[in-house]
Formats: sequence, structure tokens, C-alpha cells
Amino acid sequence: MCALKIDLLFGGGAELLFDKIKKRQVELPPLNKYFSDAKKTEWTIREFIVWIKDNLLREREELFIQGDSVRPGILVLVNDSDWELCGELDYQLQNNDCIMFISTLHGG
Amino acid sequence: MDPNDEIAELEYEIALLRKKLHEKESKLIQLKGQCQVALDFFVDVEEPSTSGSSVSSSSQPQEVVRKVVKLPSWAITRYSRQIILPEIGVSGQAKLCVSKVLVVGVGGLGCPAAMYLAGAGVGQIGLVDYDTVDLTNLHRQVLHLERDQDISKVESAADKLRSINSNIKVVTYNVQLNSKNAEEIANGYHLVLDCTDNIPSRYLLNDLCVFLKIPLISGSALKMDGQLSIYGYKAPLTRDSTYQYRGPCYRCVFPKPPPPETIGSCSAQGVAGPVPGIIGTLQALEAIKYLTDISNEKLLVGRLLIFDGEDMTVRITSLRPRNSKCAVCSKKPTIRALGDYEAFCKTSAREQELELDILPEKRRITATYLNRMLTDNLSKNGPPIVIDVRSEGEFRMCRIEGSLSSPKEKFGQVQMEKVSKLLKSRNNEIVFICRRGNDSQIVVRQLLDGVDRMYHDRLYDVIGGLHQWAKQVDPDFPIY
Repeated sequence: MCALKIDLLFGGGAELLFDKIKKRQVELPPLNKYFSDAKKTEWTIREFIVWIKDNLLREREELFIQGDSVRPGILVLVNDSDWELCGELDYQLQNNDCIMFISTLHGG
Repeated sequence: MDPNDEIAELEYEIALLRKKLHEKESKLIQLKGQCQVALDFFVDVEEPSTSGSSVSSSSQPQEVVRKVVKLPSWAITRYSRQIILPEIGVSGQAKLCVSKVLVVGVGGLGCPAAMYLAGAGVGQIGLVDYDTVDLTNLHRQVLHLERDQDISKVESAADKLRSINSNIKVVTYNVQLNSKNAEEIANGYHLVLDCTDNIPSRYLLNDLCVFLKIPLISGSALKMDGQLSIYGYKAPLTRDSTYQYRGPCYRCVFPKPPPPETIGSCSAQGVAGPVPGIIGTLQALEAIKYLTDISNEKLLVGRLLIFDGEDMTVRITSLRPRNSKCAVCSKKPTIRALGDYEAFCKTSAREQELELDILPEKRRITATYLNRMLTDNLSKNGPPIVIDVRSEGEFRMCRIEGSLSSPKEKFGQVQMEKVSKLLKSRNNEIVFICRRGNDSQIVVRQLLDGVDRMYHDRLYDVIGGLHQWAKQVDPDFPIY
């Protein structure tokens, strides 16, 4: 299985935790190449969040992660749809998916 | 005559004239109110009881009671440019004229939203805000003028709205909306616009609107970003429909509030004026569409608009449907009354005027003393090193001459080590400063917990930060 290409987007301020870069394309190897104890090759968002933490998040991970998911106040969008519509953490990433992590705003 | 004296004299005369004008305008509004040219003027003889639409008004107590079909000729002229639109038409205009909309928060979002609602002829606009107009508001809060500084935002805004349209009723509520007064204030309104700037108010308004069975058009803006959606929408019931569409409420999508340390504010992080302008304007557009009965597929129901003014992108994303186990809008709600939203969100609904006190007294100095340290050679080790822990943008905007920047947001292990090295290699005192004197304490606290005890007596924090510096030392230093 070749590498999985994912458009990874951050917005609403969440990009501040990731070197202020709002848009990037990342390539994921087969899952069992990244996590040696994994028994499958496909990625779900659950593992992808761990990958983001390992590879992109510099410090203060509590501003992004809570438990094995994102913290409250961050909305995850899979191809412009709320991730709850496609299985949340269990959504299996597809080649060329666009995954966006957006902080909700409260100012006015 | 000295031009300064002349300016002062003119300002005084203008203020007197304005006061007089205001009195006359108030009197006029009062008299017009007695003549009932506003709302009741439109209530016509066409009885709704024979039409199918009465079903919706009886099953939904807050639903607009629409008895109106005829419009007087002045109204047709006045609103002709929108009446011509097939989406609005005469019946849409009549509905606008008997509608009541509550705008909560009369700031960057509320000002443009209320302006367009007033222009469109919405029969009654309620304005809720406890705050007064400040100079720092004027770049975005477009209903407030320089002369309105220190007067209440609702009065300032109501004044302009009445000038835009004297045929509508503007009601002001100069209070902080809370769980005790919210139901009484919102009672009778058909729609609420969330133009607030804090998270407890957003949950309060959501629950309130669910209880009152009216939709909430929720906008927010910060820095260059804006977001917008309609929560708690219920499609009107028609005679032959067995299914009534209902959109998600705010809690369906965001059941848990974000951690308090992740919440930004316009005063701390900044906001570009046109960004709330755009979002507030879109709130007014959605309000007009809703009030004129445009169907939910065309409204921002179950969808979230995400505006990025930096990249100039707009995304419309589909939100999850209504949560059948939602704490407030499901069939078996666990929340049945308004509660303590500040406790729920662990944060205040008012702009934080937090005064931390987490350092030993010896570690805190006044701005006056810092100035003496800098100018009077108090220490044999030379002048102190001043480290400013505000954001880079704030530091660029204004700073004490010679101070160094190390933002608190990024103050981690690396910065701790840098300060440690500085303490070891030099003998100077190190003074930390920020805008109001809270963040600097947090950084010094971190250092006291992290560096060797022998260095502790060379670390200081400035009480009240740069605000006190401006007060005590440099009157030309900008307060923001």
C-alpha cells in the first residue's frame, strides 16, 4: 500500500499550535509501518491525532488534545462535514481526504 | 482668541445643543409611540383563523402572529427596494414589520446586525448590553461615535437606530443578561441574535432559546476569523405535515465548553473591524430570511459558516444533526431551567478584570519603583533587565524603552533556561511586566518554581503592569 496523502487544515486559531501554518499536505505510511504494534495498514482519525501530536504539535498539547480525542471547542471536519457524520475517531482516512481542525470562536 | 480655548468653547456649546436635541428627540419618540405608528399600525383586519398558518401560531407560542397583509403607501415606498425581491415581497415586508428581534451584545457584531434590521423595518428591536462605549470599540462597533464615549452602548445604539428608522420600536436593556433576567427580557421576541463576546452567554442564550422555542442566530469573530450558524431552529408546522424539521442547538454541537485557558477575546487578541462587520451583517440577512419564512434548506441551519479574512476563504460545513440525547433540546432533557453558566464554563461572562495575587510581596514592585531602578542606579549591579511577556503584536505596538520581549504564550522550557542562563551569567535584577500585571505574575511564579532558590531575590513583577506604568510614570504611554 502506498502512502496516504491528506490535506491537513487548521483554523480559527488552532493553527497557532502548529507553527501558524493553516494548510499542509501530509503523507502517512501504512499504519503498521508507523505503529509497529498495529495489525492493520489503514488509518483512522484516532491514530491520525496521535500522528499529529508526534509530528506537528510542539508543546502545550493540552490546548489540542484531551484523552484520545481533541479538546472541547475544536470541531473536526472531514471534507467539510462535521466528523460526527462519518464516525468521529473511527473514520477511516481515504487518499486525498481534507481533514480540518477548527477552533470555535467566542469573540464579538 | 487661543485656538484651544475656542475648541473648548465650541465643544461645550455643541454638547449643550446635543443635549437639547436629545430631549426633543426623546419627546418625539414618546409621542409617536402614543400614536402607535409603529407595530400596531400594520395589524390589519385579515383574520388568520381561516388560513392554515394559524396552526403554527397556536402550536408554537412564540411564532410570529401574522395578521398583516396590507401595507400603507409610505411603507411600500420606504421598503420598495426589498419588497421588489420575490423572496420578500409585500407579505415578507409585512412580516418584518410585526417581528420582534432581540440583539444581545451591541458591539462589533450587534451594531451592523441591528443597523440592517432597523433599515429593513423590523417592528421591534431589543438591545441588550451592560457596557459603555470605549474609544477602543470604535474601529468595529459602527453605531457608536466619538461623542458616545462612556455612555451606555444600548442608548448610543438605540439613538442611531431611531435616526435610521423612526417607524420602528427600539427597546433598550442596559443590563448584563443572566439566568435571572433572561426569560423576562426575551419574552415576546420571535428571534434572538447572539452577538455576545463570551462563552457563558452563548450557552445561556442557547438554553434560553430552546426553552422559548425560538431560533438563535449565533455569530462570533476574533482576529481575522468569523463563524456563523443558526441553532435551535424549528420548521413551522403545516396542516398536512407529520414531520417537523428541527436543527441542532448549540449544545448538540458543543456539549462541553472549551477549557478556559483556550478562550480568546478581542481585547486580548485583537480583531479586524470588518470581520465582525461581515458576520454581523450576515446575521441580519439570515434574520430577515427567517422572518420572511424562507425554508430551512436556504438558511444556515445545521451548517456552519467559517470565514477566514486572512486568506479570504469562506467554508460552509455541514454540522451534525440534532442530538437525540442533548441535555437541553432532546425529548428528555436533563437541563430544564437556566443555570449558572459561568460555573459551567469556568469563566466570567464579563471581560476579565482579573487581579491575580500569586507572588510573595517581596517579589512585586510598583511601576514608580521600576522607573527608579531604571534611572537612579539603585543597584550596584546596574539597571534591571525588563522582560515584557505580552504577545509580539502588543510588544511591537508599545513598550518600555530597552525592554525585551518573551511572550507568556510561548513561555516554556526553552525560555526558562534562557532566563536561568541570564541569572547565572549576569548580576542584574530581572523585572517582568505585562499589560495589567497578571501574566507577568504567572511567569515569575513559573520561574520561582523552576530556578535555583539562590536567584529568587533577583526576580520581580510589576504590580498593575503597563497600565500602572502609564498612570505612575509615563502619561504618554498608550493604555489599551
